[in-house]
Amino acid sequence: MTGAEERDALRAWIRAHNPDVPPGEPADDTPIIERRYLTSLQVADLLLYIEEVRQAPVDPRRLKAGVFKSIDAIHATFFAS
Amino acid sequence: MTFDLADTVRKLSASSRRNYQNPYESIEWPDEVDRAEWFTTPEFVSLHGTPAWDGLPDERRRELSFWEAVNFFSLNIHGEKRLMEGLAHRLYQPGLEGVAEYLHHFLDEENKHSIWFGTFCNRYAGKVYPDRQVDFPREYADGEEDFLFFAQVSIFEEIVDRYNLTMGRDESLVPVVRQINANHHAEESRHLVFGRRIVDWLWREWVDTWSPEVVAGIRAHLDAYVTATWREYYNPDVYRDAGFADPWATAREAWDHPATRAHRAAITKFGLRPLVEAGVVSP
Repeated sequence: MTGAEERDALRAWIRAHNPDVPPGEPADDTPIIERRYLTSLQVADLLLYIEEVRQAPVDPRRLKAGVFKSIDAIHATFFAS
Repeated sequence: MTFDLADTVRKLSASSRRNYQNPYESIEWPDEVDRAEWFTTPEFVSLHGTPAWDGLPDERRRELSFWEAVNFFSLNIHGEKRLMEGLAHRLYQPGLEGVAEYLHHFLDEENKHSIWFGTFCNRYAGKVYPDRQVDFPREYADGEEDFLFFAQVSIFEEIVDRYNLTMGRDESLVPVVRQINANHHAEESRHLVFGRRIVDWLWREWVDTWSPEVVAGIRAHLDAYVTATWREYYNPDVYRDAGFADPWATAREAWDHPATRAHRAAITKFGLRPLVEAGVVSP
């Protein structure tokens, strides 16, 4: 997957889990927690999806504040290395 | 707030004192366990009823049952950590002074349970599986956060108790696992009573003060909580340790399979019963 495809996959996941997200949202920099497009109860499920897409586990004990604040932040944390 | 849990608090506290346990003496710990034995009742293994389960030879099913037990005890540790944090936070909180006596017992007993779970995981697996849940701060209406806390505790413990009840009686399981489950079930019985009563009380105290949007939000949150709770039972870390080549696909396929959906639905029915009886959610 290219970086753009990974971002689109994350966007599609957010939309699939939140039918109320307006068309065209979320953009790469949309504050998805602030807008309630991603809730704390959905994070474990999202992490499993991220692990499957990148085919590598995530150590949730090492996550820092802010890693889920936007598509950009998620991508930079889990896919950009 | 009117307080009508005094009798429940008095009776449960007396029962906790009568049944007080030393956590270091209440379980017989063998030096090691044989992973060729059963550690989880087969029908409660997360893959049971799926093609992945059907294709496993008996010795790999037993090995998987070991890692499933490690996961069950790990998710209990994480659930109880959140529970203990929430209970400690609410000790002598204005409005909840009347339940403080029992919250002390609740905290004490949850800490003991975590000692059992942690001892099993560290002694026989050398690890506790990490927790994937993350909390984001958010705003709550008055009374909403306390209600959601105790409602979530009720759901979590009612689901766990169905597993404890079955596995505490399953003679095919290794004795140490049977004993942990049986002891946990015995102590949780009090917590379940308390959970049912306090959820009912807090709902009646607050529901008329909440807007329809807050009530709808509470129902949506609890629905999402049930899903998030069950997700932890389908842990790719378990499937990796049990030798599955693609643990994430295994988790996803197991989660989506009709047999596991039916299993979750049957147990969720018990898990939600206190909330149904209180009128919080529909049957």
